Amino acid sequence: MAPAAPRSGEAIFASVEHVNSELFTLTYGAIVRQLLTDLEDVEEVNKQLDQMGYNIGIRLVDEFLAKSNVSKCVDFKETAEVIAKVGFKMFLGITASVTNWDAEGTTCSLILEDNPLVDFVELPDTCQDLYYCNIFSGIIRGALEMVSMKTEVTWVRDMLRGDDAFELKVKLLKQVSEEYPYKDDE
Amino acid sequence: MIVCVAVVGHQNNPLYIQSFTEADDALKLHHIVHCSLDVVDERVNNPKKSGPTLNETFLGLLYPTENYKVYGYLTNTKVKFIMVTTDLDVRDADVRNFFRRFHAAYVDAVSNPFHVPGKKITSRTFAERVSTIVKSFGLNAAG
Repeated sequence: MAPAAPRSGEAIFASVEHVNSELFTLTYGAIVRQLLTDLEDVEEVNKQLDQMGYNIGIRLVDEFLAKSNVSKCVDFKETAEVIAKVGFKMFLGITASVTNWDAEGTTCSLILEDNPLVDFVELPDTCQDLYYCNIFSGIIRGALEMVSMKTEVTWVRDMLRGDDAFELKVKLLKQVSEEYPYKDDE
Repeated sequence: MIVCVAVVGHQNNPLYIQSFTEADDALKLHHIVHCSLDVVDERVNNPKKSGPTLNETFLGLLYPTENYKVYGYLTNTKVKFIMVTTDLDVRDADVRNFFRRFHAAYVDAVSNPFHVPGKKITSRTFAERVSTIVKSFGLNAAG
């Protein structure tokens, strides 16, 4: 049976069930507020958001691969393009763009022009160090780790702090070859 | 010319007051807003018997004083918007339009997860949007 062709992000986005975006935005806002109340330290909240994103990412990547039928990516550049064009489109309905490749092709920037998580949000003065969308960095890190790429994801630009777009820097640390957990001597 | 807008919570606590004139009579404007709250309560408690009002949100001219007119608008969460203007000939449609846009800006400000309901609105975006709406009200009414 011939493998199905990869589907575009828009096609998948159109075929999955949709949820009201305001409900999604308000729910995420409530999560961040509650974390701030519970942990009280902005750095801790950043770490927790990243950890939550990691847990989401390791599970999300299976759904992504199942629905989108993308073939194995040849190199990291293709991976980044797939995340930006298919992944973000499929799950959030937004299109991201990939820029700023460095010479070795291991670091790039993902730019999000609009972001449904931050509708209506304004950071108060006490939380200026908060990375409100830090869940994204965890999701990308977790998803890539499940496909054997160890990455580091950091925020370069954040619209809630006055920049004009959201920019994530994704750096490939190493590609871990698949290891079997036991020696197969048979 | 709008001289003052105010948002008052359902327990008559002030959530946002902004005056738009050179403010040596800011205190007087605050006082006018405060007095108009009584009129609002009166209107709410004794609805006019002249037919059912479908759009109960817009309260209309609350009372004309010396050189000001005060308009009120009630949301269904009992949050009141008060607008004080010095224009003598203001069209009803303009005021309704103003309050509609003001309500939209208010809803966006309150949807901020960092806003505590019942506390003052500290959002800078809200303040900017309000001053834009106020400025454009002046231009429309003059035309």
